[in-house]
Amino acid sequence: MLHIKPILSGLLRSKSGPLLLLMQMILSVAIVANASFIITERLNLMARESGVEEAQVFDFTIYHFDKSTDLVAQNIRDLDILRTLPGVIDASPTSMVPLSGGGWSSNFKLSPEKDSKSSPNSAMYLGDEHFINTLGVKLIEGRNFYPQEITNEFTESGGKMLVSKALAEKIWPDESPLGKRLYMGTQQFEIIGVIERLQHAWVDNDNLEFSTVMSVDLTSEFKHYLVRAKASDIEHLKVKIPEVLHKDNQSRVIEGFKTIAERRIEAYRDHELMATVLTMMVILLLLITSLGVTGMVMFNIQRRTKQIGTRRALGAKKRDIISYFLVENYLLCLVGGTIGVLLAIQLGKQLMNFYSLPMLELSYPLLTVVGLFMVTTLAVYMPARKAAKISPATATRSV
Amino acid sequence: MFFYYLDLAWRSIKKTPMLSALMVMAISIGIGITITTLNIYKMMSINPAGEKSSQLYAVQLWSQGPDTWDRFDSQITYQDGFNLLRSEVPTYQTSMFRTGGAVQTDDPNLLPAMQSVRVTNNDFFQLFAIDFQYGQAWDDSVDTSPRYEVVLSDELNQTLFAGKNSVGKTVYFNAKAYQVVGVLKPWAPSPNYHDLNNGSFGESDKMYVPYSLAPIEEYQSWGNTNGWNYESVDTYAKRLTSEKHWTQYWVQLDTPAQVEEYRQWLNNYIEQQKKLGRFTSPKAAAQFLDVAQWLDFNKVVPKDNKILVGLSSLFLLVCLVNMLGLLLSKFLRRAPEIGVRRAIGASQGQIFAQHMVEVSLMGLLGGLLGLGWAWGSLLLLTKKFELQASLTHLDASMWVIAPVIAIVAAILAGIYPAWRVCTTNPSVYLKSQ
Repeated sequence: MLHIKPILSGLLRSKSGPLLLLMQMILSVAIVANASFIITERLNLMARESGVEEAQVFDFTIYHFDKSTDLVAQNIRDLDILRTLPGVIDASPTSMVPLSGGGWSSNFKLSPEKDSKSSPNSAMYLGDEHFINTLGVKLIEGRNFYPQEITNEFTESGGKMLVSKALAEKIWPDESPLGKRLYMGTQQFEIIGVIERLQHAWVDNDNLEFSTVMSVDLTSEFKHYLVRAKASDIEHLKVKIPEVLHKDNQSRVIEGFKTIAERRIEAYRDHELMATVLTMMVILLLLITSLGVTGMVMFNIQRRTKQIGTRRALGAKKRDIISYFLVENYLLCLVGGTIGVLLAIQLGKQLMNFYSLPMLELSYPLLTVVGLFMVTTLAVYMPARKAAKISPATATRSV
Repeated sequence: MFFYYLDLAWRSIKKTPMLSALMVMAISIGIGITITTLNIYKMMSINPAGEKSSQLYAVQLWSQGPDTWDRFDSQITYQDGFNLLRSEVPTYQTSMFRTGGAVQTDDPNLLPAMQSVRVTNNDFFQLFAIDFQYGQAWDDSVDTSPRYEVVLSDELNQTLFAGKNSVGKTVYFNAKAYQVVGVLKPWAPSPNYHDLNNGSFGESDKMYVPYSLAPIEEYQSWGNTNGWNYESVDTYAKRLTSEKHWTQYWVQLDTPAQVEEYRQWLNNYIEQQKKLGRFTSPKAAAQFLDVAQWLDFNKVVPKDNKILVGLSSLFLLVCLVNMLGLLLSKFLRRAPEIGVRRAIGASQGQIFAQHMVEVSLMGLLGGLLGLGWAWGSLLLLTKKFELQASLTHLDASMWVIAPVIAIVAAILAGIYPAWRVCTTNPSVYLKSQ
């Protein structure tokens, strides 16, 4: 009992109005589908875990500008001071900071021969036996470094290495990585442990999960330290640490205190900005489209007041009137939605070609069409209910 | 006549307040979104070199061996930079890189702080047209026989000397004393096109030291160092003679003849280097890009921004279609009234003009409201994302662009409805009254 035929002929007779609404729906579906696809893609990126206790860990740098400083001894003293400071859970030197956007990475050779296979590009964390506890990462296989294994520089013989599970599985898919070796030139690093998850510094890099930790606490005028403490103590420690370290040695710059949680916000800022602006766009677009539908229906009702009155006088029930407008809208939604899905796929293809976005998943345009049906139902129902209230008497009046 | 139409338009808007408000709202939201994204895009892609844009060129050399990098690197080697300085073709030229370190003064209350420092020659200031507040650049002779002299940025001069004339004062850079010879006026191009190594909108240079001091003071590079063959650079001397790319090179060429001459000079240079066993790739060549091409080469505007501008113009299109539909209903509903006006002598053209004035008025209102939205959303975005103020500052041109887009959009949307209304036969409406 949907009376599609009269509705259809009504639509076809007043071409321009419905046609415009149709265009609006098509464009809206294409934009909303692609925008929400990009939004979810970004939110998924942002939801990836670093493996690190982000709220508890912060980093800072020391720059020694006095060339006479004994850097090795100074480093030992500094680490002692840091680790015994009230509130500090643990501290470690490092070469780079997770999610910070800066650091070291390298391909390793799988054997010492010059033309042997390479590992994928992976992060080079340099740290000591406190490194994994400081970051709060989980060792799932093997063991941690022993203190006596830590060297102050890269030595010819190499050293020990921890690798992230993702990297181990990539290089040795079916075997345990323990006891295996990775090579940098002639230096060899024996793998003694596997870390469940440790991301590196560049969040937009495909190899984000590929990390290595080397048993090297490199001596340098620039030193980077990681400190873990209870989140509530961190603000206080940011002031306290430069104070006590300066007391030990004045000729250095100590700065750059930032928690990994803060680094995460910075690292994903562009993605968050994109997601926010697009969400704004989607909401406004839905609003505008539904306002457009409401406006059109209101106009139609005014134009057809007499017609509605006549139908009522001839026995049409209130819900018949409402369903007339709803069915009219659904017809438009069906056509607009179908073409919209096709356009959305085309737009997705263009975005993929020009901006190398991933391919649009079909579920997004389809869900958008479902959304379109729901939103427009609301947009039509309000004015249609008013139309249903038109009294049959109007049909006889003012003839 | 125009004012009469304006009056009519205002009355008509007042007569259907809801519908008119809807239309103004639709167009204002469309304009708001478009201007927001356009503004960020424009601020990112702004050409900071201004009128010197087409005179300044970044020089790139394909010095890598065959089968290594497959495109020009954005930097060149130190040795090439050193050699290129010998050319007498460019008006100004500079080879430079960014370093940094601890900076102090004689004031014991001032804790040493890390500062970003540029190592360059004295052409730098003229090439990039930077004015001095106090003093001047170091003398030409310093670029050949080094002296410990330094030029401060306005910002660092504020921090170290409270903005006073500090020429002649001493600044300690990594515990070494340098004499201040000049202080620049505020200069922080955004994007910082002269060195795009560490992001396009990053920290600006705080201090400038002579390039000739680099081999003596062994300044570390704070930018990228890229290599294509395995070579050890464990000493600074090896770094200076290595094939690693880590310095930037800029020239100023004022006339096309000069550009041609310089191209020739660079080709000769490459030929000469080939004889010395360098530039072994068959693709060995030189390329120099002006500022606009340089920004493009370095992809200063992220692709995200282009997507946003694209999507928001589609968004504006939806708003237009929306407005078109609403205008159509509004105008057609008024057809009887128009019928009367036509019957008592108004021409089709006059009716058309009257409606155009009305849609332009709505466009103008929408444009102004849209500017308000854009201003608000930029403010919100700045706050939430700590964007640089230079990126979210509503550009002055938007005050013109927004209303113009809005009015043009409204007129485009209004043409068809207005045409429908003025071509309707008046007798139809006169009859049914």
